[in-house]
Amino acid sequence: MTRRITGQVLFAFVLLGMNTVYASQLLAMPLPFATGEPGPAFMPVLLCGFVYLGVLKILVDEFRSPEPVPDTERALSAIPRLGIVGPLAAIALISLFVIVFFYAGYIVAAALYTFAIALFFNYEQSGSWGRSVLFAVVTSAAITAFGWLFFVKLFGLYLPMWEL
Amino acid sequence: MFGQLADGFLALTDPVTFLYLIGGFLLGIVFGAIPGLTATLAIALLLPFTFGMKVADALVMVAGIYMAGIYAGSITGITLNIPGAPSGAITTIEGNALMRRGEGVQALGVSALSSAIGGLIGTVVLISLAQPVSSLALLFRTPDKFSLVLLAVVTVAIVSQGSLLKSAVAMAIGLMISTVGMDPMAPVGRFDFGSYHLIEGVGLLPAVIGLFAICEMIAQSGIPAKLVQGVSAAQAARPRRRDFIPRREHLRQIGVLNSVKSSVIGVVIGMLPGGGASMASFIAYADAKRGSKHPEQYGKGSYEGLAASESANNAMCGGAVIPLLTMGIPGDAVTAIIFGVLLIHGLVPGPALLGANFPLIAPMFAALFVASIFVFLSVLAFGPVYLRLSQINRGFLYAFIGLISLVGVYASSFSIFQMWMALAIGVLAYFLRRFGYPVVPALMGVILGPYFEEFLRRSLIVSEGDPTIFLRSPASVILLLMTAAFVWFLRIRPARLAAAAQKGEGA
Repeated sequence: MTRRITGQVLFAFVLLGMNTVYASQLLAMPLPFATGEPGPAFMPVLLCGFVYLGVLKILVDEFRSPEPVPDTERALSAIPRLGIVGPLAAIALISLFVIVFFYAGYIVAAALYTFAIALFFNYEQSGSWGRSVLFAVVTSAAITAFGWLFFVKLFGLYLPMWEL
Repeated sequence: MFGQLADGFLALTDPVTFLYLIGGFLLGIVFGAIPGLTATLAIALLLPFTFGMKVADALVMVAGIYMAGIYAGSITGITLNIPGAPSGAITTIEGNALMRRGEGVQALGVSALSSAIGGLIGTVVLISLAQPVSSLALLFRTPDKFSLVLLAVVTVAIVSQGSLLKSAVAMAIGLMISTVGMDPMAPVGRFDFGSYHLIEGVGLLPAVIGLFAICEMIAQSGIPAKLVQGVSAAQAARPRRRDFIPRREHLRQIGVLNSVKSSVIGVVIGMLPGGGASMASFIAYADAKRGSKHPEQYGKGSYEGLAASESANNAMCGGAVIPLLTMGIPGDAVTAIIFGVLLIHGLVPGPALLGANFPLIAPMFAALFVASIFVFLSVLAFGPVYLRLSQINRGFLYAFIGLISLVGVYASSFSIFQMWMALAIGVLAYFLRRFGYPVVPALMGVILGPYFEEFLRRSLIVSEGDPTIFLRSPASVILLLMTAAFVWFLRIRPARLAAAAQKGEGA
């Protein structure tokens, strides 16, 4: 009987992959106690071994557990498949913010980012584009101005403002 | 000491310092009351700002957030049946039952008064015990310190909710993150993949922001608003401020002894690494129910149960600060971030902190005391507003959190790389959370990792690789026995009892 690969199983494999990347760096270090002392590799070796054993046990338990019942989509949001689309959109918007911040500075990055986030959450809740856009514009202006006042004016921290 | 403590209270008379206390307190109330946001997140967001603050102001603000944030978890728990923070989960059972009975305003009042009493008792214990415990901790040698950190690491892993194995793996991931960068004892880089950015290691700020702020934002973006924001049961009521003062019959029902006992339970649990407000409120609630004359009222709206839970979780605040300041061991996520605030200002938490630096720390003690009083005053001032707090627009909230946290990471390091690091840790934390791996052990791993490794390696160097060095010192043996006892009483015994009960049902 074939078993459906769940997100839980996939994530366990991702952890094993990351642990292997971590372990690959151990090869560049001297073996623990090679010079009579524990050395830089001592704790990482222990941690690596523990994570391999722990994640493998999680995998075994997952395969032994009953087949999970897939979630049925509930029509609670204006955005379909929100559980997947939402986190992907949030990660993409944060990545874009960092890129735009680097190339265009705080004002442009903050204004676009806060507009997009506010638009996403408001549209998800109301399903109305007009109202969501209006609210996002106001939110974007208010938060961008607040961030500038707080970081630059109140605490005197440097931010690249206009880099275009 | 008393003179310096008085100076700590005097420091609060400075208008700027007092404003920081008020600001922190209000921030804690807002973050604690809104489901999905916590005092931990509020302090994490504050972390970058503390660079530009005086150390006393930063600590006073943190104390205000801490006390208010723990209390405020009960506000939406009572009004909406959605605890704003995990610490409000037990309060929600009794508080919302009272709300449905039409006694929500009194429930909010009793909750605030009990939190204030708990907070005051916790702070008095903190002030009384901090210096004696520090003096004791100065006698610790390296193997003892390792056993102490091991106790913290193991306890945090075992008290986390869900799978013990996943909690332990999350802790190991945190410890692994702490190994990136320069080796603490030899001049060699580790796990830097040839990048000069990674040779500096992963900063505490990107780790905290990633694990809490970014992770929370990503998680919330996948949850429909309709699931998060219930319909406010309080909308119909328009209470007056004086309605929030607890009535005499309710106070008589709760009893002074019950409040003091619950507060002491809260302080003691706060002192244990990994204890936390949730565990404090649960144990005090269970104890109050066990000794109650009316246990049948529990779960249906008991003022006694509500008061026990709230006294304990705010008393925990004072208790949790004791191991942080005296031994350098943060017991939960909030104290772990306070650890970061102290480090940012060049103060190393540990036995020596309360010696020469006591005048810098005293305003924090005073702030915890005053913030406890504010908790009760706040319900009189803002009680009607509390009933509408959870209705803040999510778009505004998460745009604010996302921007402030990311720009905060940049402003603290002027490094775009650290922003990417915060995002990477945030994405990892999101998936850890999604698949049932608790995030707090990972943070504790990041913070305690350098100490864990250094004390372990130093001990083994002294003993030439002989691990029995940890059994040669009485302090180390006691700490190892405590670790074993915690594992037995908190995990193995309950699991055996549950298995036996299941077997009994099956027979």
